[in-house]
Amino acid sequence: MDSAAPSQISVKSRRLQAPPAKIFHWVNVVSLTIMLMSGLQIYNANPVFGGREGWHIPQFFLLGGWLAGGRHWHFAAMWIFSLNLLWYGIYILITKRWQHRFVGGNDVKALQTGKNYKRKIYAWHRIVYTSIIPILLLAIFTGIGMYKPAQFHWIVDFFGDWFALRVVHFATVPLVLLFAIAHSLLALKAGGERLINSMFWNNML
Amino acid sequence: MSQNSNNPLSRRNLLRLSGYSVGGILLTGVSLTLVESLAGKATEPLNQKLEELLLKPQTPVPEFPESAIEPDALIINTYGFTPDIDLTTFRLIVDGEVDNPLTLDLATIQQLLRQSMVIRHVCVEGWAAIVQWAGVPVRDLIQLAKPKPGVRYAYFISADRYYESWDLASCLHPQTLLAYEKNGVPLPVDNGAPLRLASPIKLGYKLSKWVTQITLVSELRSRRGFWEDQGYEWFAGL
Repeated sequence: MDSAAPSQISVKSRRLQAPPAKIFHWVNVVSLTIMLMSGLQIYNANPVFGGREGWHIPQFFLLGGWLAGGRHWHFAAMWIFSLNLLWYGIYILITKRWQHRFVGGNDVKALQTGKNYKRKIYAWHRIVYTSIIPILLLAIFTGIGMYKPAQFHWIVDFFGDWFALRVVHFATVPLVLLFAIAHSLLALKAGGERLINSMFWNNML
Repeated sequence: MSQNSNNPLSRRNLLRLSGYSVGGILLTGVSLTLVESLAGKATEPLNQKLEELLLKPQTPVPEFPESAIEPDALIINTYGFTPDIDLTTFRLIVDGEVDNPLTLDLATIQQLLRQSMVIRHVCVEGWAAIVQWAGVPVRDLIQLAKPKPGVRYAYFISADRYYESWDLASCLHPQTLLAYEKNGVPLPVDNGAPLRLASPIKLGYKLSKWVTQITLVSELRSRRGFWEDQGYEWFAGL
């Protein structure tokens, strides 16, 4: 018992998340929520599936009140959302966090040949949270194509046509929602409340 | 009485609580609407700088083959009504800060250089259609009118009292046309006959139908466009 107490303290006081990771996470959660809700407001002006007669998103999930308001929010929050991802990308490159903080060969190995259940959960957790990076980049890439289709006509061509581009841009909404569910559950399972607190609340100042 | 109001679930407290929450919802709605226009005003100058930077004023946007035309995709949108225009008395006026104001009838306009293009027409609502348009480049009309040096904007006035204003660079873009032909046939009245704006570099609400007047100015007036005056973005570049 005597030996357990100090180690527990050291585990508790150890910082699980670097402050830049927490800042990125917070800004991403808030700006992505604004992007999703204002994006659905724009979607409702002419639903991707079915046009004006198509199914509309319920008011509760929308932000902006009307089409112009949704566009204001969307094209204001896009700066915060994309610049946040940009500095974070530079940060993980410079600090080489991308080498050991994201999914790697060791996670695949743990899933294929490992016997440790906790390690396997952790591998899944890393696979899932790594997957949000390409999803966010896809949302920005398709978004630029829809925002400036004349200047970035090659983005529209890359996806085939306008409808395909709209579908892919819209598909990032269910992808992000699915991600958010899987990521929350796996974070809870892999690190419990301690991990959640370390990303959201601990040592915020 | 005091006993009663101390009970958090008393009828009075519940009523008070429901009053607060209705007020709260109303307040949230009002403040979000206020913040909506603030969010727009805060970043619109930045977004417009980006749009001006992206616009290549003299570079044509790649066009599509005629086989790519989507004849049913172009949705007809108007803010109000379809005006009655007598084609025999119709005149296009080009005026404002110019040395050579113009009053042109349709026959004269159709004798000017005709340009045809197959481009993507993109609506602010999110839909798009590949359309063939043919007409006279707005650039040619502006050059004929000999604008004075300070001109920076053009107003487009329509027969249905729709109005729009554009930056001069976008007006002078080689694919900004006053079109009188759509998908190989004379422009239908519902699409803006006899003359409408067509361009791949602006959203649909900038592309006025039934244009009767182009006024070149050096400063924007307080009224900048039908939808812009209600809160839509002014530059609306693509």
